[in-house]
Amino acid sequence: MKYQPSLPEHNDNVSHHHPVREFVILIFGVVGLVVISFLILGLFVDQAVNYISPEDEAQLFAKVDLSGAFGDEESSTTQELLQQLIDSLGRCHNILFPLTVHLIKSEDINALALPGGDIVIFSALLKQLPSINGLTFVLAHELGHFKNRDHLRSMGRGLVLAALITYFAGANSDVSQMLASSMTLGQTKYSQSRESKADETALDILNCYYGHVGGATDLFETLQQEEEGSGSELFHYFDSHPEIQKRIEMIHALSKKQGYQVGETQPLNDHFAIQDTL
Amino acid sequence: MFVTNIEDVPGKTITVCHGIVSGSTVRAKHMGRDIMASLKNIFGGELKGYTELLGESREQAIERMKAQALQMGANAIVNVRFSTSSVAAGAAEIYVYGTAVNVE
Amino acid sequence: MENIAVIVILVSLGYFFGRMAENKHYQSIREREQAFLSLPTTSTKKPMGNIDHISHVQLVHGNVVISVDYFKRFLATLRNIFGGPIQAYETLLDRARREAVLRLKESCPDANQIINLRLETSSISKGDSERIGSVEVLAYGTAIYHQDSNAQAPIL
Repeated sequence: MKYQPSLPEHNDNVSHHHPVREFVILIFGVVGLVVISFLILGLFVDQAVNYISPEDEAQLFAKVDLSGAFGDEESSTTQELLQQLIDSLGRCHNILFPLTVHLIKSEDINALALPGGDIVIFSALLKQLPSINGLTFVLAHELGHFKNRDHLRSMGRGLVLAALITYFAGANSDVSQMLASSMTLGQTKYSQSRESKADETALDILNCYYGHVGGATDLFETLQQEEEGSGSELFHYFDSHPEIQKRIEMIHALSKKQGYQVGETQPLNDHFAIQDTL
Repeated sequence: MFVTNIEDVPGKTITVCHGIVSGSTVRAKHMGRDIMASLKNIFGGELKGYTELLGESREQAIERMKAQALQMGANAIVNVRFSTSSVAAGAAEIYVYGTAVNVE
Repeated sequence: MENIAVIVILVSLGYFFGRMAENKHYQSIREREQAFLSLPTTSTKKPMGNIDHISHVQLVHGNVVISVDYFKRFLATLRNIFGGPIQAYETLLDRARREAVLRLKESCPDANQIINLRLETSSISKGDSERIGSVEVLAYGTAIYHQDSNAQAPIL
């Protein structure tokens, strides 16, 4: 036996096509798969929402208080005043289940509608609003979400989204992080149209309550002043609420169409003794 | 091509020795199989999807090793060994190696 | 939004640096394999040549731990969804095994032949395999030294 050393000319143990090509194909495959399943399951959620009556919903979520997830609640006279305001709005909408306001201490300027008739108002929002009319518009906007059942839709879709991504890419991997971010982009377009609808309802309620729609754009004008100079066009696309300027214009156009008057607004401070701690 | 896991090929004599040849492969099954397997884990029994996966992988690894031996001009591989490891979850990694020789 | 940006940056960094490192490693593997070509290595148990001339034998080994770059790990996670050959890990294993054998040979450059070469692979990060895809390869065998160390490749 003699030894005749040699090496293989080419490496058969690795595939030779380009990894970037494989990467592109796989990325498109995964994103396509998730988007398609998301759309299909989203349709199912919409169907299911139509089957759940508001009474069933109120019963279902009666014992669940989701507002605690957003921060500590401020139990103060301000919250009671907010509750009184939302109760007095009752004559202007036909939402039959009880509504509860939660005032949460937070730096975010935001308000949320949660299943079970809970409305969450962040304290920073109260601080920024110049008029009571503006506050009424914000509350009415959340009522609009309840009326359109958006709170259930968005929660259902959120669950579908989370389940899908965990299923496809594992709970904690980089791939699932990337998918979650990209899917949120897709969802943004959907929720922008829901926000516009809620604004429409809010305008009707505001007009019914005060007889005019003055102050409807108060919040957006405040936000606009704050954001001026900071933030680029690009990032506005990713906000779930339509760009502020567009929203203001839309509200103006809508009130003109409906023939709503713009009247005097009342400053917020006359009604709410806002403490500095807020 | 003779492939054995003993020192020689019975009935033949080794004339030339070429050195070590090897074949390796890493493969995964699609998600559906993984889910079926995790369900099967509850009841026990053969995981057909994974049996198939490992079978295919070994087959491919052997093919790759043979291709290497052919390039060296060998006509047999003796003393073949398998080795497995797991780098990625849910994927099979098979390594097979042996000594490429010429027999007569 | 920032999440995607971070991941894109990590993936492209992983791709460019990983590719650079891999090409460099393959280059060095090929050169060293050429240099050690004349050292007979087999997986058989019997040594080639006259057993009477053996001065001593020694157990030799070489090991290496190699990890994949971010890009390949990402690619492998995607591939796991659809199934099929995980191309991203093929080069990892190929490099690790060839490197381990080379280190084994480098540990006994004066040997006349190495017999009964065995390879073991293990994954040191198995518990958290989605995070770190790294593999250890151990190559071990018996080095045989002839009495006349100038002897050429043995002839039976």
